[in-house]
Amino acid sequence: MSRHPAPDELLLDYAAGVLPEGPALAVSLHVALDPAARQTVDRLRAVGGALLEEEAGPDLGESALAGVMARLDGVAVEPKAPPSARRPGFEWAPTSLMPYLGAKDWKRAFGGFEQIEIGLHGDTHRVSLLRLQPGKGLPVHRHVANEYTIVLQGGYTDNTGNYGVGDFAVGPGAQEHEPIADPGEPCIALIVVEKPIVLTGVWGRWLNPLLRWGWM
Amino acid sequence: MTADEAADLIEAIASRQDRTAFASLFRHYAPRVKAFLMRGGADAESAQEIAQEAMIMVWRKAASFDRGRASAATWIYTIARNKRIDLLRRAGRPAIGVEDWLTIFAPDEGSADKSVAAGQTYTRVKELMEGLSADQLTVIRKAFFEDKTHTAIAEELRLPLGTVKSRIRLALGRLREALEKDEEEK
Repeated sequence: MSRHPAPDELLLDYAAGVLPEGPALAVSLHVALDPAARQTVDRLRAVGGALLEEEAGPDLGESALAGVMARLDGVAVEPKAPPSARRPGFEWAPTSLMPYLGAKDWKRAFGGFEQIEIGLHGDTHRVSLLRLQPGKGLPVHRHVANEYTIVLQGGYTDNTGNYGVGDFAVGPGAQEHEPIADPGEPCIALIVVEKPIVLTGVWGRWLNPLLRWGWM
Repeated sequence: MTADEAADLIEAIASRQDRTAFASLFRHYAPRVKAFLMRGGADAESAQEIAQEAMIMVWRKAASFDRGRASAATWIYTIARNKRIDLLRRAGRPAIGVEDWLTIFAPDEGSADKSVAAGQTYTRVKELMEGLSADQLTVIRKAFFEDKTHTAIAEELRLPLGTVKSRIRLALGRLREALEKDEEEK
């Protein structure tokens, strides 16, 4: 079990399918890497199934069934999808991240870290992958909205604790924090932010306009 | 229909495109899916349409059903719910295709913990649900059936967010405790 599990209410929203895409992606990665979270989500989905089974409603009618049966002629039963191929250099990426990753590659960002911007279907959240070399930190920043971080490789430490692979962090709110990558492998994490974060460091303030415009 | 019977039917579709099996599944689940969608606010006509689309998806995706990971009801629930999101494209909701969601929902099959058969978990969860308080059930039902996040549920019930969170935690805590006790007794 990971030392920093996602909160139950988030797992419920995920299992019920009501999370927006960005947070859903973050939770899917947590679920892929943390057996305890996976078990909780499987159980919650079983709750959804049980609720469905309890439902009762009138038949759709034999004509509806006949209509659907007629349509089946044109619909093939698809063969089971083969496991997606691992991309060299991205072996740390769980399956649910692969379609989002595509052929994208790391880009250097201001502040000594590397980044991959992840595009979503909607625009309520900004999602990016960050790669920090051991001992390196992110600029001190504070959050103005919900932020979710899921560690995919290595680990980092900030004033709220130490986070390793599979750990899920919910942004520390208005508190400032300065995550530093642990020794060993570079730290790779997916970060989902509801709204742009506000940099509070001396030089960070200069970057805020850039962040606000989504340039970083 | 028992969990095993329903799983047999889906597997019959997967292995030999069994139309009779599909018809039995349709008769059992399509009305349930329709009722579930109407509970979430869909009108009868769109609920009927989405239920039919969901059942066609059941046919198409039958080969990816794995009874070790989810019961038939759970799997069909997942498809129906995502079909709803897909077709209604609610305001402010990203329009994610059902197939993307199925991928997000079946992370890394190989690493799945199959120590407890999904069908057993499902049957037991069903029993345990009856032991939850009305308050706890309300919150869980709203999340699953009315497409509401815990934040939206708090607003609707005019409860502090903390109260909703603690109801969710209590309900899940009870399910978890009972299921873990079952596993220890095996």
